[in-house]
Amino acid sequence: MAVVRRIPCVVEALEDHGEHVYTVHLRPGVQAPRFKPGQFLHLALDPYEPGGFWPDSRVFSIASPPEARELLAVTYAVKGDFTGRMERELRVGTSVWVKLPYGDFVVDGANDVVLFAGGTGVTAFTAFLHSLVSGAESRVLLCYGARRAELFVYQPLVEDCARRAPSFEARLFTEDRDGRLSVEAVWDSVTRLHAPIFYLSGPPSMLSAISAELCDHGVPPEVVKTDAWE
Amino acid sequence: MAAERGGDSVSTRTEILALVRRYYAEKFGDRSFDAATDPVRYAGRVFGAEELCNLVDASLDFYLTAGRFTEQFEAGIADYFGVSDALFVNSGSSANLVALTALTSPRLGERQLRPGDEVLTVAAGFPSTVAPIVQNGLVPVFVDVRLSDYNVDPALLEAAVSPRTKAIMLAHTLGVPFDLDAVMELVEKHGLWLIEDNCDALGSRYRGTLTGTFGHLSTLSFYPAHHITTGEGGSVVTDDEELARIARSVRDWGRDCYCAGGENDTCGKRFAQQFGSLPYGYDHKYVYSHLGYNLKATDMQAAIGCAQLERLGDFTAARKANHATLLEALRPFEDRLLLPSAPANADPSWFCFVVTVCADAGFSRNELTRFLEANRVETRNLFSGNLLRHPAFEHIERRVAGELTNTDAIMERTFFVGVYPGLDEPRLEHMAEVFVRFMNGERADDGASGASSSRAG
Repeated sequence: MAVVRRIPCVVEALEDHGEHVYTVHLRPGVQAPRFKPGQFLHLALDPYEPGGFWPDSRVFSIASPPEARELLAVTYAVKGDFTGRMERELRVGTSVWVKLPYGDFVVDGANDVVLFAGGTGVTAFTAFLHSLVSGAESRVLLCYGARRAELFVYQPLVEDCARRAPSFEARLFTEDRDGRLSVEAVWDSVTRLHAPIFYLSGPPSMLSAISAELCDHGVPPEVVKTDAWE
Repeated sequence: MAAERGGDSVSTRTEILALVRRYYAEKFGDRSFDAATDPVRYAGRVFGAEELCNLVDASLDFYLTAGRFTEQFEAGIADYFGVSDALFVNSGSSANLVALTALTSPRLGERQLRPGDEVLTVAAGFPSTVAPIVQNGLVPVFVDVRLSDYNVDPALLEAAVSPRTKAIMLAHTLGVPFDLDAVMELVEKHGLWLIEDNCDALGSRYRGTLTGTFGHLSTLSFYPAHHITTGEGGSVVTDDEELARIARSVRDWGRDCYCAGGENDTCGKRFAQQFGSLPYGYDHKYVYSHLGYNLKATDMQAAIGCAQLERLGDFTAARKANHATLLEALRPFEDRLLLPSAPANADPSWFCFVVTVCADAGFSRNELTRFLEANRVETRNLFSGNLLRHPAFEHIERRVAGELTNTDAIMERTFFVGVYPGLDEPRLEHMAEVFVRFMNGERADDGASGASSSRAG
């Protein structure tokens, strides 16, 4: 993990995806540090006084690509007091503090990989997807579930990946149309990959369900990486 | 008795810092030199009002442990080297201990260094390059150095590789980069780890690239004799984030958690992980994955370092210029003094001006240094000379590859004087003049003055 830095940011743009899901684009006041796809940042709404303690904050996967550190993006769904404050207080021009990078949930693109994403959990993979190159030899299978089709916040990115990277395949599931994302539903795609590593990011119920199903399909636990949150 | 509470504290702080600037000018502004009474140190703190202000600023925070200045300093060092990570530690020796110990981590799997593995190094250097090897149950393998640049002889290094060799740990001696072409070739050929002890070489370059960026890990010292200072202090530098995480663990008690002091649950998994045979969810803050230490430094030290880092470019230029001045002054004596030279591809940020008295010079190293010291020119030997002749190292488990002939010669005939940025023209002139007097036949008993008061502590 690179040296963590605390930096002031200004909200540059806000996207309202509906259903209380938002993407916030943050302009760092100083150069943001290097980070890897899948790493996350802490976002604080209250001012941080250098020399004092870090204020209350929450963690969000960095959804923007590492190559574009001049504008950091996070996507969040309103689920509690803090994200409720974010919904109420964040406007274009609002000042916030972030500290980054954190985390070792980093997709190793050297292998074939299966990415299971539930809802805004997909943001753990978006930086990786941004970096997908057309000539990549290893294959990427994204299994992306959301409650409704409108909540596929990163569908344009997924479609872009499918266009430019032949090694990329996406399987999208909406609960109201296709039922819950499951291992069984994508297993035919999984079996076409060579010794894949599995990465899981999403709500706890999805993580435990997918983990158990992978185990039932004979996937050894050491090749299953989970972005677990309390 | 209480935390800071706004009010007038901001303006009071501003007032204090303005006073500190005034104090600096009054206390440290005079840098005049009297050759008849003042010593010419081999090294020393070079600092301005910014260092003093930062130090007081940090003390007014009263954060004490690693805080905003540490974060800024670590980021500044990492940026300087263009790498992902720099860890601030309490000394260069600690940096060496952390760096070497990191390579013994079980996290490294097959590449983990294990007791009995060999680490190639040299005996002509500072003990804390070697001590961590011994402390970790590894076997140091000593190779002789060249007298031209006091660095390892690459041909001897290659000959010393055995099936048990797993790492190389070498210093860029006195600021001169060792032969990185040859060493990197060995590293790749044999799959070895490389730790660059860059403690004496901050700012040196090899083929235009900063030393400290070639190895898997490198180390820095910020003791006052070094290129920048934080008083006590050092750093571990790496561009490998896994090694950085291990090194942080070793530095921070061996803990698995990487939260900074005063922070909790930055990973979001503080009570949701399984480690060893601990109960599931045992507080991650108190889970230990390495045998570690507490080798952190304070925010006050980092505050000084932040200001020093701003001066590094000027410091490097001054060291090179001072070295060139002395080299020019001593060139006439090359028949009796082996003068320093940088090998091809090396661009040293000189730690000092190193001299070896030729075996047939007609005088000894100690005669010359006694004369210099008597005339208030401070000298130092090349650290341990031959480390294996010191009581603590005489009986360690080790292998010596070949003879340490040049290492012994260094022990007998080598010393150095300063080139640090605090040396100005009058001081350099005095130093050169004392050398010339000795080389022209004058000796310490011939009327040198101040012998008893010339040594710094």
